[in-house]
Amino acid sequence: MSKEIKYTEAFDELQQIVVDIEDGEITVDELSIKVKRASELIKICKKKLSATEEDVNLILQELED
Amino acid sequence: MSDSPQIFTLKQVLSSIKKTIEDRYTSTYWVKAEMHKLNLSKKGHCYPELLEKQDGRIVAEIRAIIWQTNFDRINKRFIQIVREPLKDDVTLLLLVKITYSETFGLSLNILDIDPNYSLGELQKERQETLKKLQQEGLINANQQLNFPTLPKRIAVISADSSKGLSDFMNVIEGNSWGYTFFTMLFPAQLQGDNASSSIRQQLDRINRVKEHFDIVVIVRGGGAEVGLSCYNDYQLCKSIASFSLPILTGIGHSTNLTVAEMVSFRNAITPTELGDFLIQAFHNFAVPVKDAVKRLRISAITISSGAKVILNNESKLFRSVSKQMLSENKQNVNSNIKELENNFKFFLLNHKVLIRRIEQATYQKAKLLLANEQNGIEILKSQLPNFSKAKILSENNKLDSFLQSIRLTNPINVLKRGYSITTFNGKTIGKNNKVKKGDIINIKTATFNVESEVNKVEDKSE
Repeated sequence: MSKEIKYTEAFDELQQIVVDIEDGEITVDELSIKVKRASELIKICKKKLSATEEDVNLILQELED
Repeated sequence: MSDSPQIFTLKQVLSSIKKTIEDRYTSTYWVKAEMHKLNLSKKGHCYPELLEKQDGRIVAEIRAIIWQTNFDRINKRFIQIVREPLKDDVTLLLLVKITYSETFGLSLNILDIDPNYSLGELQKERQETLKKLQQEGLINANQQLNFPTLPKRIAVISADSSKGLSDFMNVIEGNSWGYTFFTMLFPAQLQGDNASSSIRQQLDRINRVKEHFDIVVIVRGGGAEVGLSCYNDYQLCKSIASFSLPILTGIGHSTNLTVAEMVSFRNAITPTELGDFLIQAFHNFAVPVKDAVKRLRISAITISSGAKVILNNESKLFRSVSKQMLSENKQNVNSNIKELENNFKFFLLNHKVLIRRIEQATYQKAKLLLANEQNGIEILKSQLPNFSKAKILSENNKLDSFLQSIRLTNPINVLKRGYSITTFNGKTIGKNNKVKKGDIINIKTATFNVESEVNKVEDKSE
């Protein structure tokens, strides 16, 4: 679940950046930093949509214990 | 009679019982009883055991029989209405004829089973489950969990062979957006008597590895719609309601909503619909992300081009302002230079005049000084002869007075005035040259030398 929270946070942060930029809350100085951060977050979000991280063997082993 | 009691054959006795019972119980009766075991034989006859319990204790028990012809009809109608097969350990309303057979003994011939009664019983169980969960505050417990932003990792409770499972997997794995789910099957019986415990067992297993999962789904479908009353089972519904992950159901049936579906986080009519729901959850995440990319691009371009325009304007403004300032300053400097020049000239002129004035003053003063000095010298020069005459005169005077003084001190001059000098042995008389009577002393006056003898001496010093 901890990973999930991370992605939710990434998503929320991304939304916040978009809103901030649209509202003009961001100076030109910050713009490139924010856009860079946003693209990282987008990458994380997109990766989450298409990646599988769970290790079946690990789960099976935990079920045995 | 006392010595030779009448002896009956067993057949006689049992036939008598049979006759008595058949005479006594002529009609059929509706009886409420729990069917402990159906005991379906190969020939299709059933030999159920009926009993009644009070506080868990058996208080009545009897064998029963359902002939194959009756059973087929009863079972068909029962399933049609109740959507459950006849099974063990349920209370049924039975139409029975009390029969007695010499070989099999007393039994109840079951002619019919009231499906509506059973349906009512099931409804009652459903109601009771609901009521209990309500009382325990569990009815909305699962629905109050936070649904994960991305329901990626799915624990699937289903059966390998279930059509519902393959429908579900087709939807989530065959999606055209590249969404990837992680699923793990926890196989369970999905209908019938054992389903409740089987599903609960899998929920326990999932609970042990719940960190690896976001949601649990229970999918079923494709089989006969019978034996689904397990989804009203209190124990199962409680497990679902109180589970710590959201449980989504796609049980796929056309009958009334079961309690399990009601208390689950979300119920979909079919496994396919459940799969679509999960895809939609991914869309809900993906679309805003895509939208964010678009908005980010537009906003960033807007901001930077806006900033560029502002910068251009500012630099234009800056250029014109600085040009203007430069020319203004140039003028200032020029006028300052002129002023400085004028000032300097004036200053120079002033100083020249001043210097000339000082020069003249100095010259005049020097002249005056020189004249003064010359005057003094002239005066001194003119006075010089007078000075020397006076000096000579005073020196003469001084010399004269000296001469006078010297004249006055001459003893001769003193003697002339009547004084005399007395000597003894050539020296004046005094302490060191005392005289006595008879000594001859010399007295000298201005005009005479006298030699005289001493008559008397009076020493005035003593």
